[in-house]
Order: sequence, then C-alpha cells, then structure tokens
Amino acid sequence: MNRFILNLRKYYKYAVYSAKAELKSEVADSYLNWLWWIIEPICFMLIYTFVFGVVFKNKEPFFASFVFVGLTCWEFFNRMITGSVNLITNNRDLVTKVYIPKYILLLSKSFTYLFKMSISLIITFALMLYQHVPITWHIIFFIPILIVLYVFSFGLGLILMHFGVTFNDLSNLTNIGLRMVFYLSGVFYNITTKLKGTLSHILLFCNPIAFIMNELRKVLIYNKFPSFVMLIVWLFVGALLCAIGVHVIHKNENSYAKVI
Amino acid sequence: MKNKQKNNKQIAITVKNLHITYRGLKKTSIRASWGKLKNKVELFQALKGVSFEVEEGKILGIIGKNGSGKSTMLRAIAGIFSPDKGSIDLHGNSISLLSIGVGFNKKLTGKENIYLSGMLLGFSEAEINKKEKEIIDFADIGDFINKPVKTYSSGMYSKLAFAITAILETDIMLIDEVLSVGDKTFKEKSYNKMKELISDEHRTVIIVSHSLGTIAELCNEVLWLNDGEVKMIGTPEEVLPKYEEFMQ
Repeated sequence: MNRFILNLRKYYKYAVYSAKAELKSEVADSYLNWLWWIIEPICFMLIYTFVFGVVFKNKEPFFASFVFVGLTCWEFFNRMITGSVNLITNNRDLVTKVYIPKYILLLSKSFTYLFKMSISLIITFALMLYQHVPITWHIIFFIPILIVLYVFSFGLGLILMHFGVTFNDLSNLTNIGLRMVFYLSGVFYNITTKLKGTLSHILLFCNPIAFIMNELRKVLIYNKFPSFVMLIVWLFVGALLCAIGVHVIHKNENSYAKVI
Repeated sequence: MKNKQKNNKQIAITVKNLHITYRGLKKTSIRASWGKLKNKVELFQALKGVSFEVEEGKILGIIGKNGSGKSTMLRAIAGIFSPDKGSIDLHGNSISLLSIGVGFNKKLTGKENIYLSGMLLGFSEAEINKKEKEIIDFADIGDFINKPVKTYSSGMYSKLAFAITAILETDIMLIDEVLSVGDKTFKEKSYNKMKELISDEHRTVIIVSHSLGTIAELCNEVLWLNDGEVKMIGTPEEVLPKYEEFMQ
C-alpha cells in the first residue's frame, strides 16, 4: 500500500501530463477538432431518445435527460473496461523500455475518460435546464456517486489489465460481458418501473452499474436521496478490487515485459 | 588524493546470483489454457546465476554472442524485468536505460514530447524545465521543435530522442549499443557527447556492444557473458583477446 502511494506521488504528474497529451493528440488532426467531444455524446443521446422514446414509445418523464444521465455513467464504465484490457499490450514500447508502475498507465487513461465524462455531465445539466427538470439541492450527491463509480471501475480495470496481458482473447469476453451489462443497466429504460418485483431488485443489487445509474437519476432527476448504505457497500467493494488489483500488479508487473 | 579515492571505493551496482527465466506468464488464449495443466511449461534460462559488482564511476562493458543474455541483464538492472532468483542492489542510485524515443506521442510537438519522455524517465517537470533549452539546443532541429513529431524525418526524430536521453542524466546509465544517430556532424557530436557522459567520474555506466573497438576505447572493465553465465571478468586487455580467440 505504501508503495502504491509513493508511486502515485512520483508519477501523478506524468499521468496528468500524458492524459493531456493524449486528449490533445486525439483532436490534433480531425476536422472538427474538440467539437467531437460534444457532438458525439449528443448524437448518441439523440439516437437512443429517438429509438426508445419515439419508436418504442417510452413514457418516462424527461426522457432525453434520463437517457443522457445513463449514457454519461455507462460510457465512462465502458471506456474504462475496454481501455484496460489491452492497455499493457498497446503500450508495448513503454513497458519494454522503462520501468513505470503499470497502474499509472490506467490512471492516466482514466483521466482522459474522466475529462470526457465531465463534458458529458455539463451537457446533461444543460439538457436538464432545457427540459425544465426540477432541480433541488439533492443534486450535489452526484459527486459521491461518481466517486463510487470511479473507484469500482478503476479496481475492475486493474484486474482486467493484469489478465489482459496473458489472455489474448480476454477482450472478446469483456465485449460480450459489457454488452450484457449494458442492456441490464437500464440506460434507456427505468429498471424500477419496467421490471417489476424481484428481477429489478436483483439487478439493482447485483449490477453496480445499474445501481449507480439509478442513484444518479434519483438525485439528478427525481430529487431524492441516494441509498447511502449501498453506496458505501459498493465503495468498499471497489476499494477491495483496487487493493487486489494493485497487489497483483505489484507482484507481476515486471514479468509483463517478458510476455509481450 | 588518488589513493584516498581508491580506499573508499563505493560500489554502485551489486548483482548477486541473478537468474532470469522466461516462462510463467506465457501468452495464452482461454481455449489453450484448458489443457494447460497437462502441458509442461517451456522454460528458457536467459541468465543462470550471474554475480558481479561495479564501482562508482567505472565503465563496464558487456560482451558475448547473440542470445547470451546481455540485453536481458541490462533490462533486469533497469528494473524492467524482475529477477527470478538472486538480487540487484543499486545502492540508491538513479538509473536509466538509454533508449530512444520512449513514450513519444507522434501527434504532439517536439517540445511536448520532451516533457512526456522526461517525466516517464522519472524527472520532475521543474527539472525538465531547467534542461529544456539545453535539449533543444543539442537536438538542433530548428523550428521543427514546435511541430508535431510525425512531421519529422527519421534523422530529426532520433536527434531529438538522443538529446533527451543524453541531457537528462542519471547516476547510472545503461547503454544497449552505443548510439550514434543522424547525419555525419550529428553522429560525431552525439558520439562525443556520449563519451563525455560516460567518462564523468561519478557516473557508472554499463555498455552492451558487439563492437570490440568501442568497448576497448570506452570501458575499463569487461564482463563476458556466455549462455547466461559469466565466462570472464577483467580489464579489456585481459578479456578481449581471449574473447576474439573464442569467437573464431
């Protein structure tokens, strides 16, 4: 644990710098540049709102905001998981030439995803204002909820990153898994009203993403308190995953260079 | 004065009984791992019990035929590989493996890459800031420093990369083949810079090279590796003739 904190302190700046560099290079030579960061989430939101709001006639109030909150949360998780699986192999050059604690790579990646998520959040708020969603002070609870999301995704990402080195086809598996979680998280439907009874309870209880998404909507759209107990439980699970991930990586990271 | 220095010789690197084996984390697919328990894991011993010490300020050359474990050893000392057995003690010195263009992002400008690469090598932003001008001057690529690296010619690329590694110095330098890059003038300049870096009396250097001429010129100690074992260690005068004889 000490080593983790020491390394964080030493490489934190690098992680930030390299995240900035990556964002910069992402838009360096595209025609619309950084506008893509805004256009992309809006387009996805429009597609989902059209398909599930108009085609499937969803009667959810403030449906566009509802979808956008879900998407914001989902995209972050999705990026973290897909990004982490091949992270080491994609950074082959780095890994075989210098020593760097491998979780710093994920940390740096996560910063770029956090940045994209904050843009998406800003659009969410703008959309909520536009749709006249009643806004109360419950809204501030979105911060602790996102922290839980971050810790959980980071922990899971660390573990996947480790196994991604040795298993070539882990990315196929995670893609299937992610697709399933996507449909079971209620990005475009309300789990509590669409799925009645035990099924919704099971989903919200076992699927952290569904749970976090639901909590986010509770505080942002429905002006309710989040369920603090469950948030703490998932924070604890996330922290545990992080601890396991850091431990596994400390133990194995120097062997990665031999494999890839 | 000279005697006094000799008496408190400081050891900069201690390598004890170093074993490195390639195995364990083998690239595999999930399908292949069903039968994994039955399959015997293939082992390749790159280093089999190597021990040596390097004093501070010394320049150690490592020679040996291809596949004798030279590069593996350098990487292990740099901390990229973990030893399977044995230990490496750097006595608190900072270390870098001289390699070119680590962590470059080709879409960013040369200047930004100086920071990116430097921070990766473990330097702080302030330290790089101090050396930035020196690096740019040394690289000598003019206005291109503010242009994306992907627009560079391969010569300019290696010039910048070399400048970064050469100007941001560490206590111990590990060099895998002495680098001389760029056009003729820069080649000379980089070779001289290299010599200057290497011969700093506080800097400990390990050089891996196939060019016996370079080794004879630069090193004051030579380690001869053969099939992952130390065959001989001593001054260049002692080791090099025997090695040449052996190779024939």
